[in-house]
Amino acid sequence: MQSGMIPILKVGGILLASIQTELNDTSAQAFQQDVLKAIERTRSRGLVIDITGLDMVDTFVARILTDSGRMAKLMGTETVLVGMRPEVAATLVRMGFSMQGVHTALNVDEGMALLATLRSSRDGE
Amino acid sequence: MTSPLEYMNRLGFTEQELSSRRTYFQLVDEDLARLSALRPFAERHNDAIVDAFYQELLLKHSESRLFFTDQATLQRAMAAQKRYFLELFSGVCDLAYLENRLRVGTTHQRIGVAPKWYLGAYAHYLRLISARLLAEQGYSAETQEKLRSIQKIIFFDMSIAIETYIAAGLDALARHQAAIRELSTPVIQLYERVLLLPLIGTIDTARAMQVMEKVLVRVAERQAKVIVLDIAGVPVVDTRVANHLLQTTEAVRLLGASTVLTGISPQVAQTMVQLGVDLSKMHTRASLEEGLELALSLTGRVIRAKEG
Repeated sequence: MQSGMIPILKVGGILLASIQTELNDTSAQAFQQDVLKAIERTRSRGLVIDITGLDMVDTFVARILTDSGRMAKLMGTETVLVGMRPEVAATLVRMGFSMQGVHTALNVDEGMALLATLRSSRDGE
Repeated sequence: MTSPLEYMNRLGFTEQELSSRRTYFQLVDEDLARLSALRPFAERHNDAIVDAFYQELLLKHSESRLFFTDQATLQRAMAAQKRYFLELFSGVCDLAYLENRLRVGTTHQRIGVAPKWYLGAYAHYLRLISARLLAEQGYSAETQEKLRSIQKIIFFDMSIAIETYIAAGLDALARHQAAIRELSTPVIQLYERVLLLPLIGTIDTARAMQVMEKVLVRVAERQAKVIVLDIAGVPVVDTRVANHLLQTTEAVRLLGASTVLTGISPQVAQTMVQLGVDLSKMHTRASLEEGLELALSLTGRVIRAKEG
């Protein structure tokens, strides 16, 4: 699985990754690599991961996504996961998978807005 | 109303089922040939048998008389009965025959003829036919064979009708269950991007699952920011119910929205703490009123008294 499968765009001061294909174990890991490298390269302070296109998320992929958020946080970048489908949310919760520590929003727009509030509250500290 | 054809498919009445059922009822081609040969007999006695059937049985009984509210209905029913009777002696038992019998079953079901009426009437019918056949053709091995064939096709018919009754009953049950499910989770839009789900009645695991699914779908559909779950109408809130609520809250959070739990009585609050259930991840309020205020404030709005 080569990297670069999922485009990571720089929009304003933040990164936007929209996952449009189902992720398997290798492509999810490649995505994590790509995201972290993009953060290092662009020094963005925010990351929005849009998963509207994912009909199915198993615990492995969910863990990769959650971990990516935590890793990004260590690098100083807040992550917002947006557009999760109802059935995906229901399945993850039913399986007892916790995505604690990851911010969520309904759509990309709100994800960006949330990042802006997070940033302003942090800058105020 | 379901059409007979849909029923055929749903009940699995295929060529294969037809042939296996015929084997089971031992309804062989010889029987059909015998029935077909009895057609002139049936035609001769059709009017008399059906008339006797109505006079002696259906109209004498106060309950079954109710099916025939007026003379026209009675005439129509008797004409249908005569056709039905002659079809027993058509010498054909294919899918079209099955469909025809199914239609009779659905009609009975629709006008409210209970299985007891249907079965009682058919038994009476069989006695009328046998008496006339014996009277006309005398008691012989051959007559006995004929009677057996008649009995086979009648029981074959009854097996189909009974299945129609059962299927219709199950259908009604499924419809009611769906209606109750729908009634039990009314998700109401309270304000722009604020939803309310008043929970009333006992919450078991099945209902909790369904509540969660409905909530998630509605939140995504309306792009709601907040959903208020009011549990004032839930009689018992124990650890299981609390866990379901926590799961729903987490799932809603994954979508990017929040939940507000309202209707928490002192008793519920006591139980939760005594049971060691941690609801601190949820926004909770005692009354719906306060919950609404909180929900609005989460969406950046505030309720304010009018000036002056």
